[in-house]
Amino acid sequence: MNKATEIKTNQNTGAPGGQGASAAKTLAAIKTLGFTHVLMIPDSESRLLYQAIGEDPSLRLITPCREGESIAIAAGLWTGGCKPLIVIQITGVMEAGDALRGCGLGPKVPLRLMVGWRGYGGAQAGRLPIDSAYTYTKPLLDAWGIPHWSLMGNEDIPMLELMDRKAAETSSPAAVVTGYAFRP
Amino acid sequence: MIERMELLRALAARRTGEIVVMTMTTTLQWPLVSQHELDFDFLAFGMGHAGDFGLGLAMARPERKTIVLKGDGGLLMCLGSLATMGRYAPENLLVLLMENRTYEMVGAQLLPPRVDFAALARAAGVEGGGATGRGKVERITTIEDFENALPRLLTEAGPHFVVLPVSNKEPLPPINHKDHAGRIRNLRKGLGIE
Repeated sequence: MNKATEIKTNQNTGAPGGQGASAAKTLAAIKTLGFTHVLMIPDSESRLLYQAIGEDPSLRLITPCREGESIAIAAGLWTGGCKPLIVIQITGVMEAGDALRGCGLGPKVPLRLMVGWRGYGGAQAGRLPIDSAYTYTKPLLDAWGIPHWSLMGNEDIPMLELMDRKAAETSSPAAVVTGYAFRP
Repeated sequence: MIERMELLRALAARRTGEIVVMTMTTTLQWPLVSQHELDFDFLAFGMGHAGDFGLGLAMARPERKTIVLKGDGGLLMCLGSLATMGRYAPENLLVLLMENRTYEMVGAQLLPPRVDFAALARAAGVEGGGATGRGKVERITTIEDFENALPRLLTEAGPHFVVLPVSNKEPLPPINHKDHAGRIRNLRKGLGIE
């Protein structure tokens, strides 16, 4: 059993009931943890968080064109002494695979990721996923060896701190996985 | 057309405390002219992303110029990064695009022949970008013009995106790149972060 799997068994794995975290409370946690920049391409489930971050003058919101850019810009920010957070849908992780390997896993850059699990909410409600993004989310993160925690509702917001601490301790990427749209 | 080693020698002679991020073939030749604690070899850190990494560094360290030496093939892999550069446009970022019209590192296969990289950068908003609106895109085609431009490029507010048509007559040293984590740590040490 690898480290990531071991961690996963000790935390909320995303059972139904979360229904989405508050964007305002998530933003407060992000600020408490000392993040300086948030790299984020908005999607339908994260748009309220995107809006909240964009309106907060204490955080710098950076919106690249594609997720591989997010990873490389974040690595540059961290190398330069900042503390970036990458908010990214799982489809973006797939696109950014080479950047994640090259700028995170290989050189041991402690990238912090908030990964949107596309299709999770629908699957929990018994609907068939609209595409394969749902199916590949956890296997992909496990294959990369990226430890991850579920952030499905307000009760899971402390998982951000666990993720942050793990990234710092291992100097490697770590993630929280969000399965529902953010609420106000 | 500029002979690339002459260009690198000219830059190394003028460079002082700037960060230099390089990728692909320049990672093989830049060490022949520079051994500096703020040199950063981006090879194998992510195809096409050297400019993005440099953008992040420039935003993190606004007090210091970040220079990115990258190729046109790499830029084609990540064209959207031009729009991101135009949007955030840090004044301390200088991108020197080595335009050789090939994927030189892997056999010199040809790029799409009609791409105008300076026009792409202008259209992406790099020209006129930055807090002062002084972002510049230019094309420099002789070593004399490059040497004359260097004092300005290294001191004035940018960002600057400079297209440099280059050729190379020198044999390339072998690839011998290891210790990716060590490269990052060394740069952070050079910046006084670790």
